[in-house]
Amino acid sequence: MALRTRARSTRLLVVALVSISLVTITVDYREGNEGPLASLGDAALAVISPLQEVVSKVTHPIGNFFSTLVRLPSIRHERDVLRERADALETQLAEGRADQARLAELEALFGLQESLGNRIETTAAQVIANGVSNFEWTITIDKGSSVGISVGMPVVSSAGLVGHVVRVGTSSSVVQLIIDPDSSVAGRLDVSRQTGLLSGSGPSDLQMSLVDPTVDVAPDEHVVTAGYRIAGVAESLYPPNILIGTVSRVLDEDSATEKLLTVRPAVDFSSLSLVLVVLSRDARG
Amino acid sequence: MRRVLLLSAVILTALILQTTVFSEVNLLGAKPELMYLLTICFAVLEGPSSGAITGFAGGMAQDFMLDAPKGITALTLTLLGYAIGMARQYIVSPSPVLPVLLVAGGTFAGIVFYGIVSFLLGQLSVGWLYLFRVALLSAVYNAILTPLVFPLLRRAAEGSRSRRVARW
Repeated sequence: MALRTRARSTRLLVVALVSISLVTITVDYREGNEGPLASLGDAALAVISPLQEVVSKVTHPIGNFFSTLVRLPSIRHERDVLRERADALETQLAEGRADQARLAELEALFGLQESLGNRIETTAAQVIANGVSNFEWTITIDKGSSVGISVGMPVVSSAGLVGHVVRVGTSSSVVQLIIDPDSSVAGRLDVSRQTGLLSGSGPSDLQMSLVDPTVDVAPDEHVVTAGYRIAGVAESLYPPNILIGTVSRVLDEDSATEKLLTVRPAVDFSSLSLVLVVLSRDARG
Repeated sequence: MRRVLLLSAVILTALILQTTVFSEVNLLGAKPELMYLLTICFAVLEGPSSGAITGFAGGMAQDFMLDAPKGITALTLTLLGYAIGMARQYIVSPSPVLPVLLVAGGTFAGIVFYGIVSFLLGQLSVGWLYLFRVALLSAVYNAILTPLVFPLLRRAAEGSRSRRVARW
């Protein structure tokens, strides 16, 4: 008898919990990013990020050690490849120096340096955590609204474009990586000067679409951000000429009205530790 | 009271480990899902109602760290905790391998369920093949972690159980 009432109360409990979950899903789905549930989520982020920071400081070396162990064979292979490349590059370097001098001259001529130079204000931030689930590609950094970060700001690292800020707490923010399937970036091929749209596809390379099919694309061509700016009307999310990655594959389809490319990101997202948040890029200044 | 404290501490620990340590242990493109592991362990140890409560609390905690619609993980884990708790009542095998098998099967089923619910809400941004691969790999990783986590949780659960005389 006691057993049966217990079973019934358990069932009642489960029904109640399931209903609460369903109500939460519905409410949150309808409110999007503005409702009370979203701000509750931001509060949770503010509470947990200091703890994450401490734990990540302690465990980062340990985690690094294990991931290095796992990747040891590929690291060895990488070393051999890199050695070969180093030899090849050394010879190229000698040739490159002459070109470089000429390039610097040209750059000064066009004032290119100015457009990318010191007018961009950035702040450095430490990566303290990665995305929670297997279906989300984000990182959490240790700077937030207290140093002036707000939603939509671009994030870069020394290697190239990382992503943009999607949530901000007082002393932490969440950055959506460009490999997240919800992310899309306007990119430009740096040799053929063609633009296209790069969207993330999680663990595999970025997909670049809307490229003019008549253009020949060289493998290993670099892709940079195609910043645009129509004064007072619209401005691209990312500043121009930040390296996104290199073309890894050209998907040939004769009938297509657009060319599809896959692009390998320049940034190794699994080992990010320091990033730069672009606070302002007042080109008028 | 002690149970509530224990549960909060365990969930918070799991959440922090999930976002820091295990986010770097990313083998073949997937990582362990500690909340699933936790829910299944509690369901095996304490029965369906505890399983459902753990799943709900842990799922909600994890949902509020995500940018996706909140509540999907909570829904998945509530049902998972209940289902595993019920299944446990009908299995009499005292084998120590049983929790490992339940964790593996439960994690796989749970992640696929999560994927289906996300898909119905138009929130699944990855392909089905990827979903199944992640479910399979996470199930394997969770199963490997079970022999480490399960005894710890059993001791914690027994320690916090209110002293009671036989119920029937």
